[in-house]
Amino acid sequence: MAELLTAEQIDQFRAHIAHIEHPRELIIDLLRAVQDKHGWVPDEGVELVAGLLGLTPLEVEEIATFYYKIYRRPVGRYPIHICDSICCWSRGGEALAEHLQKSLDIAPGETSADGLFTLLPTCCLGVCGRAPAMMIGRESYGPLNNEDVDRVLAELRQEAQA
Amino acid sequence: MPTLTIDNQQVTVPDGNTVFEAAEQLGIVVPHFCYHHALGAVGACRMCAVTVVEGSMPGMKMSCMTPAEEGMVVETGTAQAEGFREHVGEWLMTNHPHDCPVCDEGGECQLQEMTIASGHGLRNYRGNKRTYQNQDLGPYVAQEMNRCIQCYRCVRTYQDYCGGRDFGAMGSRQRVFFGRFRDGMLESDFSGNIVDVCPTGVLTDKTFRFKTRLWDLEQAPSICPHCSLGCATVPGGRYRELQRVVSGVNLQTNGHFICDRGRFGSGYVNHPARPRHARAGGSRVSVTDAVDSLLRRISETVSQHGPEAVAMVGSGRASLEANLLLRQWAAELNCPPPVFELHPRRARAIRQTVGTLSDHLASLRQVRKSDLVVVFGADPLAEAPMLALALRQVVRAGGRVVVLDPRPVELPCEFEHHPLTQEKILCLLAGNCEKELFNRLLQDLMAARRPVLVGGGDLLGGVGLQLLGHLTESCDNDDRYCLVHPLLPQANSFGAGLLEGPEQTDLLERLESGRVRALICLESDPCSEHPEAGRMQLAISRLDYLAVFDYLPTHATKRADLLLPTTTPVEGDGVFINNEGRMQAFARVLQPGVPLAVTGQGNHPPREFVPATPGCHPRPAWQLLQQVLGDERTLHGLRQAAAEHESRLEGLSDLQPGGEGLRVMPSSQAPVEESTVEIWSQDGDLRLLPVQVRYGSDHASCLSDKLTPRMTGPQLIVHPQEAEKRQLKAGETVLLKTAQGTFRFPLACDERVVRGRVIVPCLPGTPLEILVPGGLSLPCEIEGEAP
Amino acid sequence: MKQTAQLLFKNRRPGETVFLKEYERAGGYLGLKQALREMQPKQICELVKNSGLRGRGGAGFPTGLKWSFFPADKPAPKYLVCNCDEMEPGTYKDGELLQADPHQLVEGMIISAYALQADTGYIFIRYAYREQFANLQRAIAEATEAGYLGKDILGSGFSFELHVHGSAGRYILGEETALLNGLEGVRPNPRSKPPFPAVRGLFGRPTTVNNVETLSNIQHIVTGGAARFRDLALTVDGAGTKLYGLSGHLERTECFELPVGISLREIIDEYGGGVWRGRRFKSCLPGGASTPFLTSADLDVQLDYQTLEAVGSRFGTGGVTVFDDRTCMVAATLNLIRFFARESCGWCTPCRDGLPLVAWLLEKIEHGDGTRDDLQLLKSQYSNISGNSFCALAEGAMGPVDGLLRHFEQELVDHIEKGRCPFS
Ligand SMILES: Cc1cc2nc3c(=O)[nH]c(=O)nc-3n(C[C@H](O)[C@H](O)[C@H](O)COP(=O)(O)O)c2cc1C
Ligand code: SF4
Ligand code: SF4
Ligand code: SF4
Ligand code: FES
Repeated sequence: MAELLTAEQIDQFRAHIAHIEHPRELIIDLLRAVQDKHGWVPDEGVELVAGLLGLTPLEVEEIATFYYKIYRRPVGRYPIHICDSICCWSRGGEALAEHLQKSLDIAPGETSADGLFTLLPTCCLGVCGRAPAMMIGRESYGPLNNEDVDRVLAELRQEAQA
Repeated sequence: MPTLTIDNQQVTVPDGNTVFEAAEQLGIVVPHFCYHHALGAVGACRMCAVTVVEGSMPGMKMSCMTPAEEGMVVETGTAQAEGFREHVGEWLMTNHPHDCPVCDEGGECQLQEMTIASGHGLRNYRGNKRTYQNQDLGPYVAQEMNRCIQCYRCVRTYQDYCGGRDFGAMGSRQRVFFGRFRDGMLESDFSGNIVDVCPTGVLTDKTFRFKTRLWDLEQAPSICPHCSLGCATVPGGRYRELQRVVSGVNLQTNGHFICDRGRFGSGYVNHPARPRHARAGGSRVSVTDAVDSLLRRISETVSQHGPEAVAMVGSGRASLEANLLLRQWAAELNCPPPVFELHPRRARAIRQTVGTLSDHLASLRQVRKSDLVVVFGADPLAEAPMLALALRQVVRAGGRVVVLDPRPVELPCEFEHHPLTQEKILCLLAGNCEKELFNRLLQDLMAARRPVLVGGGDLLGGVGLQLLGHLTESCDNDDRYCLVHPLLPQANSFGAGLLEGPEQTDLLERLESGRVRALICLESDPCSEHPEAGRMQLAISRLDYLAVFDYLPTHATKRADLLLPTTTPVEGDGVFINNEGRMQAFARVLQPGVPLAVTGQGNHPPREFVPATPGCHPRPAWQLLQQVLGDERTLHGLRQAAAEHESRLEGLSDLQPGGEGLRVMPSSQAPVEESTVEIWSQDGDLRLLPVQVRYGSDHASCLSDKLTPRMTGPQLIVHPQEAEKRQLKAGETVLLKTAQGTFRFPLACDERVVRGRVIVPCLPGTPLEILVPGGLSLPCEIEGEAP
Repeated sequence: MKQTAQLLFKNRRPGETVFLKEYERAGGYLGLKQALREMQPKQICELVKNSGLRGRGGAGFPTGLKWSFFPADKPAPKYLVCNCDEMEPGTYKDGELLQADPHQLVEGMIISAYALQADTGYIFIRYAYREQFANLQRAIAEATEAGYLGKDILGSGFSFELHVHGSAGRYILGEETALLNGLEGVRPNPRSKPPFPAVRGLFGRPTTVNNVETLSNIQHIVTGGAARFRDLALTVDGAGTKLYGLSGHLERTECFELPVGISLREIIDEYGGGVWRGRRFKSCLPGGASTPFLTSADLDVQLDYQTLEAVGSRFGTGGVTVFDDRTCMVAATLNLIRFFARESCGWCTPCRDGLPLVAWLLEKIEHGDGTRDDLQLLKSQYSNISGNSFCALAEGAMGPVDGLLRHFEQELVDHIEKGRCPFS
C-alpha cells in the first residue's frame, strides 16, 4: 500500500498535464488514482497531486476535503457505503445499517478490528430500485437483507485471506 | 445612472451599482457580512435582504446581488426582510460559542453589531454545537474557528485579493474550515489583512493578543512610515506601548489593506534602545537646556567660522513641517540650505519625481485600475509592497504587468519578467539598446487605455526617471495620459524633495573639505544613508559639533554631541507626502514615554518615582525646531503659512488625518536636465547591486522584533551560471570582495537574476548596512573561501 | 398495461449493455447522419424548440429555449456538458439508461453539439456509476473509431471531442454551475447567475449543461420529428416520454419509459405492482427528494410539469418514491432533510445553518420532545429558507417540508401531543 502512484502512472499524468490547457481539471482524477492505488489519500498524496499540477497542497486540500468519496483518512480494505437516503430508509436501510454495525462491531465511521471494513453512511447510491443498498469499494449491492450482508462480508473476508 | 428610491429617499448611483451600494450612499447600512467594499458581493451570507417594492423583479432580494434600476422602489424595513434577517442572525449564531467576554474581537466585532442589527436575540437551538480544532497559523494570526460564521471574507482576501496560496476553505456544509494544509506561518506578505476582514474573533492579531480590550485602546488615523506609498493605517496602543497597527481606508492609496511590513513593523516605537533623553556633551539635560545649548553652539560656530560652517540634513523620514522649519532655520542663519536626501543619486531621483514627473503621477488606485503596467527597475514586494498588490488587481481585471529588473522579482500574480541590468534598463529607456523590446512596449503602451509606468527610483536614478518622463509623454494621447508611479526611498521623500534647493556639492565633500564645523541632522543618519559610509564616518568624527534630532537609535545619535529625542509618527502629528505627491496628515496616537512593558518587564509599573512620565522627553521634531526658532504658531498656523509661501502645497492647512489626502500642485518649473553619464552598457564583469529586501531594509522595521520570523538572513544571489563559472555552489559561504570591503555570506542561485550581477540585501544593523541601495552597480568579485 | 413507444429504452435488456454494433443495427447513428447531412444547426435548434422537450434534470427548463441563449457567433472553445451527477435520492433513471444503452447519449450529444456548434463535450458522471463510466468510455472509443466523434465527423466538417469526467461524490455537483467548478477543479460551490453558463461557463467560455435523458432524446426528435415527439405525451402541453424510476413501498421498484402525463395511479398500480404488502398508499415524492409530497387525493394527477405544479408539487426528475400508510411522514421528512443538510456545500447561510436547524427541530418532534412552539418555529424556518438560498439545493430541501406542513400537519401535532412518534 506504500506506493501512491506507479512511476508509469506519474509519467502518464505528466504527459497528459503537458498536453492540456487547464491541468487543474485533473485534480479529481489524480486524487482518485492515488486512492485507487493506496486505498486512501494521505497527506503525501495531496502533496504529490499538488506537485504534479503546480498547485499548493492547500489548493488540493480545498478540493479533496469537499468530496465525500475522497478518503483523507485511512479506511479499511473494503470501505462499506451504506445508503441512508429515503428509498433505502423506506425499505429497511436503518435496520440493515444496525446489522452491519453489530456484525462488524463498529460504529459508523469506524474500521473493523481486522482492518478490513470501514462503515460509511452515504447518500443515495443511484440504485433506489434495489433498496436497501450498499456499495463496497465501487461495487453496489441490493436489495439486501441481513443474510445477504453476512454472505457478502464472509466472501470478502475470504477474499482477503486468499 | 439610475435613480431609485430607498426608504423614501431618492438616490442616483453609477451604472452597475447594486441596491446595497445605493443604500450605502444614502447612509443606510443594510446589515451584511460577506459583502466587503474591496472584495465585492458574493451573495453568500444572505444577511442583506431588502424588499424590492417596484422593479423588474419585485419581492425580497439580496441587496448586494440586485442591480439598481431606474425607478426602483426599495424598502429595507419591511416585516418580511426584517424577519428574514433575524433568521439569518439566528442561523449564523447556531454554533457560535458565545464567548464574547474572553474574545479578542470584543469592541470591534461586526458579528455583535450585525446580530443586534438583524434583531436576533434568543437562540432556539438547544442541540450540541459544532466545534473545531484550531491550527497554529504562525506568529501573526491567531485562529479560533468555533467563532466562524463562514462569510468567506478571509479566503477571498487571502487568495483572491492578495494572491496567497497557503490559506483557504476546506470541507463543506456546516463544517467548513478556514486554514492551512498544515500548521505553520502564513506565507503571504499580506497575511495580516485577514485579521482586519474577519468580522468576528476567529482570526485575530496574535501579536496583540491579551494586551488591551478595544475600548481601552488609544487609536488615531496615521500614515505608514515603512515605504514611500503612504498607506493609511490606524495604529493602536496603551500604556505608552504601540501594540498593533490595522489598515486604514484610503481608496486613493492602499484601499482597505496594508502589507505585513506596515502592520507588524512598528516595534521600533517601543524599542528599548530608542533615544529617550535629551543629551548635551555626554550628560542628560532637560529639553530646554538642550535647545539652549544647541542655539549657543550654533551661533558660536557661525560667529567664529561663518554661516558656511553649519550644515543641515533633513530627511524623508521627518515630517513636512519639521523639514520646513529646518529650512527656515538655515535661511535665518544664512547658512546653506539643508540637504534633504543624503544619497546623491537618490536625491536626483526624488528631484525628477517632484519636478519632471509631477503632472503625470499615478496614485495607487490608478495603478490598480490600469490595464497595462510596465515596471522599470523595481521590486515591488521589497520597495513598496502594496504596489505588488495593486499589480495583482491589474492582472485580476484582465490587464497585464511587465517587469524589467535585474532581481528575481516575485509578484502575487502572473507577469512578464525581463531580467536586465540597471544599466541596460537605462540604455533601453534612452533608446540605445534592447530596441525590439522597447518598441514592443512602446506599441503596447500607446494602445493601452490606462497605461502606467512604475519606476524604481533606486535603480533608475534621476536619469532613468527623467527618461521615464519622456516615455510617458510619448505615450500620451488626446484621450488620456500615460501615468507614472515612481518609488522613492522613504515615506516623506517627496515632501523633503519639494523643499530641496538647487543641487549642492555633495555633503560628504563639504565635510571632507573641513569647511563644515557643525552638522545638524534631522531624523537622518549620514553614516547609514550616504553611499560612502566609511568616508562619511570618518568625516563626521572630525566635526566640531554634531547635533541630532531623532527617534531611532542610529550611528548619529550615538556620536551626537547634542541629542534631542523626537517622537515617532505615532506620537505626534504631521504630514508626509507620498510617492505620488499626496499630502497626508497623521495624528498622534500615543503620548511618548517608555512603555510599561519595557520598564517593568511587562508585569509591573515603573519603579522610577518621578513626577514626569519616564522617557517622556521626545517631542515632535517640528515642536523642537519651533522652540529653536522661537516660533509659537500652532500646527495649523504653521501649515497655513507654508501653503501661502509654497504654492505647490495649496490645501495643506485643510488636511485632516484619516482623509484621502491631497495632491500637491504640479511643478511649474522647467525640468532639471540630468547628466547622462549613467547610461552605458556594461557586459562581462561582475557587479554588485545592493537592494532593499522585503523585511528589515528600512530603518524602522529592522528594529521591529515582530518581523524577525519573516526576515531572511543576508545572502548573495547570483545567476547559477555565474556560480558555475567560479565553481561555487548554492548554499556555500563565499567571499564578496568590493571596494567597500570583503564580506562573507552564503551564496544563493536563482535563474531569474540577470547575469553578471550579485544581488545583496541592504540590512541595517548588519555589516551589509554600508551597502546602501540607490547607486549604480559596483565592481566586485566573489570567490570560495580558502580551504 | 398499454404499450408505450420506447425511445430511450428501446434497446434495454436486463443485465445487458448495448454497444456500437447492436446500437447501429437498431437504427443508431441514423439521427446523427440525418442531422449532419440534411440539417443546418439552426434547424435542429428550431426542431428541438418545437418538440416541446423540457430538461429532464429536474428543473424542466425548455431545452430549445435554453439552446437559443447559446451564442452562435462566439468563437471556439464552446462546451456542451452532460450532467450525469444524478445524486438526488429516488433518482436513478440516467444510470439505468447508461447501463442499457450508452451510445444513445453519445449520439445525442454529438447532434446537440452540432446544433450548438460546440467543439468540446464533457460528460460529468457520479462516483458510484462505475459501470456506466466504463460503458461511456467504451462507447466514446467506438464512436471515435467509427468516425462519429473527432475531427470532421462523417465528412461534414464538424468536429467534436468528448470526455468523461468522474466525480467523487457530492450532490451539489449536480447543480450546473457547481458542476462547472467541479470540472475546472476548483471548489464546487455554485456560481452566481448571471452570468449564465451560456455567456460564461466552463473555463469562462459559452457552455450548455443538459441532463443525460434530455440529450438522449435529441436523435429521436431528429428522426421522428417534433410533432411525433409531442404526441407521445398524454397531456396537451406535454411532450415525449419520460423515464420514471420507481422506489419506496411498491411491489415492483423498477425504471420504466412511459409517456409524459401518465397518471400517478396508473404508474403505481400498473407498473409498480401496487403498494407493497397489500398496504394502502399514503404519500409519494413524485419527482425526487426535492419535490413536495402528494397524498392519496392526488392519485389521479397526470405526471407532467404543469399538472404537478397545479397540485403543489413538481415533476422533478421523474423518480417516484411511494410511502405506505405505516410511514411516519415526520420521520420521512427528517430523513430527507438530513440528506440535504449533509449535502449542503456550505456557501450560504440558510442552507448551511438553516437546514441543520430544521433537522434538529424535526428530530425533536419525531422523538416526542417537540412543543407547539417548535411547530411554529418549523413553519417560520420553512418560510424563511424557501426562496432565499443562493442556489436551489436548499429550495429543494424545503420541498418535502412544504408537503409535510401542508398535508401532514396533524401528524406533527400528534407527535407533539402524544410525546412520541405515533408510528413506532
Ligand atoms: C442541488 C441540485 C442538484 C442537481 N442535480 C442534478 C443532476 O444530478 N442531474 C441533472 O441533470 N440536473 C441536476 N440539477 C439541475 C441542473 O442544475 C440543471 O438544471 C440541469 O442539469 C439542466 O439540464 P436539463 O435542462 O437538461 O434538465 C440539479 C440542480 C440542483 C439545484
Ligand atoms: S474565519 Fe472569519 S473571515 Fe473567515 S469565514 Fe470565518 S468569520 Fe469569515
Ligand atoms: S506598502 Fe509601504 S506604506 Fe503601505 S503598509 Fe506596506 S510598508 Fe506601509
Ligand atoms: S443553497 Fe447555498 S449552501 Fe446550499 S448548496 Fe446551494 S449555495 Fe451551497
Ligand atoms: S435512496 Fe438508497 S440508493 Fe437511492
